[in-house]
Amino acid sequence: MTLGLDLDYLERSARGEFDLGWLRDTGSEWGVRAVPSKTGLTLRDIAIGSYGEVPDHAPLRTMAPRGSDVEPGVPDMGYTINDRAEVWADNVLDLYEEAVSRQWSATRDIPWADLAPLDPDVEHAMCQLATVLSEVEMVAADFPAKWLWRINHDFVEAKMFLCTQVMDEARHTEVFRKRALANGGGLGKATAVVERFLQLILDAESYDEGSALMHLLGEGIVLSLFRAGAALAPSPVEQKIFRLCMQDEARHVAYGTMHLRYRLASDPSVAEDFHAYLDQGEEIISMIFATPEIVEPTAILAAGGLEQACELGTAAGDVLRHQIIGDYLKRCAHAGLDRRGRLHLPDALIDGVPGARVEAAV
Amino acid sequence: MGAIEAPFPSSAWFVELVARATADPAELEHLGIADLRFGVEVLLPDGAEEFFGLVLDGFDINVVGPTTAESFGSDVVVSGPLAAWQDMVDWIEEHGPADSAHSLNGLTIAGIPLVARSDDAMGSDKFYRFMGTIQAVFDAAGAPAPAAARA
Repeated sequence: MTLGLDLDYLERSARGEFDLGWLRDTGSEWGVRAVPSKTGLTLRDIAIGSYGEVPDHAPLRTMAPRGSDVEPGVPDMGYTINDRAEVWADNVLDLYEEAVSRQWSATRDIPWADLAPLDPDVEHAMCQLATVLSEVEMVAADFPAKWLWRINHDFVEAKMFLCTQVMDEARHTEVFRKRALANGGGLGKATAVVERFLQLILDAESYDEGSALMHLLGEGIVLSLFRAGAALAPSPVEQKIFRLCMQDEARHVAYGTMHLRYRLASDPSVAEDFHAYLDQGEEIISMIFATPEIVEPTAILAAGGLEQACELGTAAGDVLRHQIIGDYLKRCAHAGLDRRGRLHLPDALIDGVPGARVEAAV
Repeated sequence: MGAIEAPFPSSAWFVELVARATADPAELEHLGIADLRFGVEVLLPDGAEEFFGLVLDGFDINVVGPTTAESFGSDVVVSGPLAAWQDMVDWIEEHGPADSAHSLNGLTIAGIPLVARSDDAMGSDKFYRFMGTIQAVFDAAGAPAPAAARA
């Protein structure tokens, strides 16, 4: 490969004879002035002029910023995601700002020194849940990372948001490992069924498929687990861990929901593809509802101990099941994908969940 | 710590709550920007209801109300009987930041004693996205009054 070094230019510039083509002949928007909003200069503030125009189809496959004057002969980076609808969401600019602003540290922001000894069964339960969560969270970094380099730079805001997700998930992986190792319990059991779902996400053949499985289905479930964890936390330490993770996870789910909405609005014909992805995902997810390593620690935390768990814990499990399925259906509906009547979940899981079935016409 | 003198729920109570929550801007900024229209619906024993809104906008927090759910236009409304709200406030005033059982998350997760409702998934997800900030606002009921904090 030759880079075409211009030796004449080296000599001219050494004599002080500048080219200045970049200064005189560039079709830039001189005079453009983005105005900061009250929290600072946001991505939305700078979405002005030609930079603010996000194309439906990227005309080039380069790393050049939108709105810049792209020199002929820039190399083709080989991006495979070149249509806006494949990654965009109407809230992605705001979610990026939110993500950057609401970062936290698993080292500094959790009051680790306040951890107190727990009932051994409760400590076991917390450590098992922490093990599962630490196991699943990193896939939500691996999946975006796998696809990031394939996404055209014209959709850089979506790429940037996914970068924040990678950082969020690293922190979630970190914080749950720390929790498992910090109070005498240690790491618990990793299960095959969980790993099968993670594999489904990682092996997704398209970003569409993986995003539906991860952002919408998988992270929606984990969001409900975080919410339950914050409500059942045995101490302020766990309460803070789960609350901070819940906030992050809800951003990812909000992106996934709005991305699917954008995708379906752009091309309604892909709805059946998404149904098929979710059919498969739900079948595996239904097994998670019958996985002792997830169900039982949650029940024990809800009940405050093993002895009470059979009675109180089952009720807590029902609350969690209703929330997971109910929230999932609401997100699908908001995205424009009606999963009522199509859920690939057994009746035992759907029973009693409002809106899970299509009501018969009266 | 000094409970808020104005009765709950009242405009004066919420204004004082927000004054306490925003007394240390650095603390609020550490939580990050927020974007949430949060409705507080208090069901009174006589069957009437009181409605107040909290608007989280960037690092600003504003009180709206008394108003109605319809005119406020909430992302999420947390609703429940006065006794449940009062228990939460009393606990925070006595102990400080809410524990799991007295947090907005804990009180709404099963739909009793409080229920969180939203028109769509984005509203309920906003409740989750900004839970730390809205909880910090209510936790300020157990913080010193701004004047006392300066003294």
